[in-house]
Amino acid sequence: GKVPASSIIASAPSDKNLDAWRELGCRTTHCNLEVLQESTLVFLATKPHILPGVLQEIHPAVGPHHIVVSLAAGVTLQTLQWLLPAGTKVLRLMPNLPCVVQAGAMVFTRGSGAGDEEAALLKSLLCSCGLCEEVPESYINIHTGLSGSGVAYVYLFAEALAEGAVKMGMPGGLASRIAAQTLLGAAKMMLESGEHPAKLRGDVCTPGGTTIYALHQLEKGALRATVMNAVEAATNRACDMAED
Amino acid sequence: SRAVPFAGVLAAHKITASSPDTDLPTVSGLRKMGVNFTVSNKDTVKSSDVLFLAVKPPIIPFILDEVGPDIEARHIVVSCAAGVTISSIEKKLSTFCPTPKVIRCMTNTPVIVREGATVYATGTHADVEDGKLLEQLMASVGFCTEVEEDLIDAVTGLSGSGPAYAFTALDALADGGVKMGLPRRLAVRLGAQALLGAAKMLLESEQHPGQLKDNVCSPGGATIHALHFLESGGFRSLLINAVEASCIRTRELQHLADQEKISPAAIKKTLLDKVKLESPSLSVASASKVSLFTSKS
Repeated sequence: GKVPASSIIASAPSDKNLDAWRELGCRTTHCNLEVLQESTLVFLATKPHILPGVLQEIHPAVGPHHIVVSLAAGVTLQTLQWLLPAGTKVLRLMPNLPCVVQAGAMVFTRGSGAGDEEAALLKSLLCSCGLCEEVPESYINIHTGLSGSGVAYVYLFAEALAEGAVKMGMPGGLASRIAAQTLLGAAKMMLESGEHPAKLRGDVCTPGGTTIYALHQLEKGALRATVMNAVEAATNRACDMAED
Repeated sequence: SRAVPFAGVLAAHKITASSPDTDLPTVSGLRKMGVNFTVSNKDTVKSSDVLFLAVKPPIIPFILDEVGPDIEARHIVVSCAAGVTISSIEKKLSTFCPTPKVIRCMTNTPVIVREGATVYATGTHADVEDGKLLEQLMASVGFCTEVEEDLIDAVTGLSGSGPAYAFTALDALADGGVKMGLPRRLAVRLGAQALLGAAKMLLESEQHPGQLKDNVCSPGGATIHALHFLESGGFRSLLINAVEASCIRTRELQHLADQEKISPAAIKKTLLDKVKLESPSLSVASASKVSLFTSKS
């Protein structure tokens, strides 16, 4: 709600991707150059292998007033700056899926041409979609492993929780909703209390109670190490893919 | 184990220790500290107000039978024997004294360096002041607090056995140090100091151990890499398993003792003979137990 829809113009080769934008009241076009002409802040949201072509296409229309934000996974600031006019204000943004429900986790990093003003602008626009933090470029792949892919880990965990409940006799639909709400609630407590998750965990564990018995099972299964492995694997894969 | 004359709380000459076997190294150690020594349990009881029963659990019934007749209302009987319940001690003593004051405690070996972890539970006739007296004594050799008796098994699993877990960890840490090039003595010294320091930090901090751990783990650094290995090995669950196993075993042993399944043959015959020697005035019940034993030989 920070920017009126009419101030937004979206471009795509075919109409199928543009309907959603039109429905929101945004202007649309099939011409990338038109976006550059009409806008100051430009988001590049193409697949990584398409991006170099698009950058070459818009190169002549990019000026010192433009702020170019790339969402393409694995395309480095160095590559972006190489393919755009020297001194262009370039930033790289890595969101995650829950941005679509305004509960996203986003990190961005600035290129050499981008200053505090551009960073502040981006942050103020994006924080309406969730958490938005500026980071050094080296954290972008880690963010992928933690939160980009991390969303899938949570879905897996939620599914497993629900299955456990189904095994114990609860209907699947209900179990699923409760599992999701449990994750949501726990996450909310973590964010709002600022307390260390270990402390919050301890607060739930009454001596000899159900929770500590369950946690023991999780520890026996080396859940922590497995999760660390997952974040590491996704991060490493992001690094590998970036080099391709 | 070496007794510590309650560091500053109680003068050594006010302490009397007794043991049937005078050849034990503990005896000469106690004598050196200025503690009064006797071979007679009866003399000890007569000259003392607080009686620490520091014998192995199977011996407790025999000791209680021996000293029972001399127990008076003023006496506070403190048992440190693992798995021996307050009610079993009260039951034994009540044949001699109607309201025996019994306190059960569970301590651990680092009392000998004044860093013990002790808990106690007070029996039916022990007053608040009696508990506080014990607490004052044990607090001089470490941490001491009162608990409900039903938690004592868990305490055994955690801090009773705990030093053994720590020694095992320290041995392994030292191995790690040696593997990476440190001389053994230095590795042991550094490992021990690391655990000592960490424990001290935790005790003096308001922070959760998880937070303290995070404070040591710089991003992408050495420590987090190491911790990942620990997690992969199920380090946490191993420790949970250990505490649980020790606690459960304590309960098992207590259960066995309650059913008197521990055979007298498990008790050193020489020890029992000495107990028999010093107590000419045994009650009938225990005399039959002792004679049963001697007729077996």
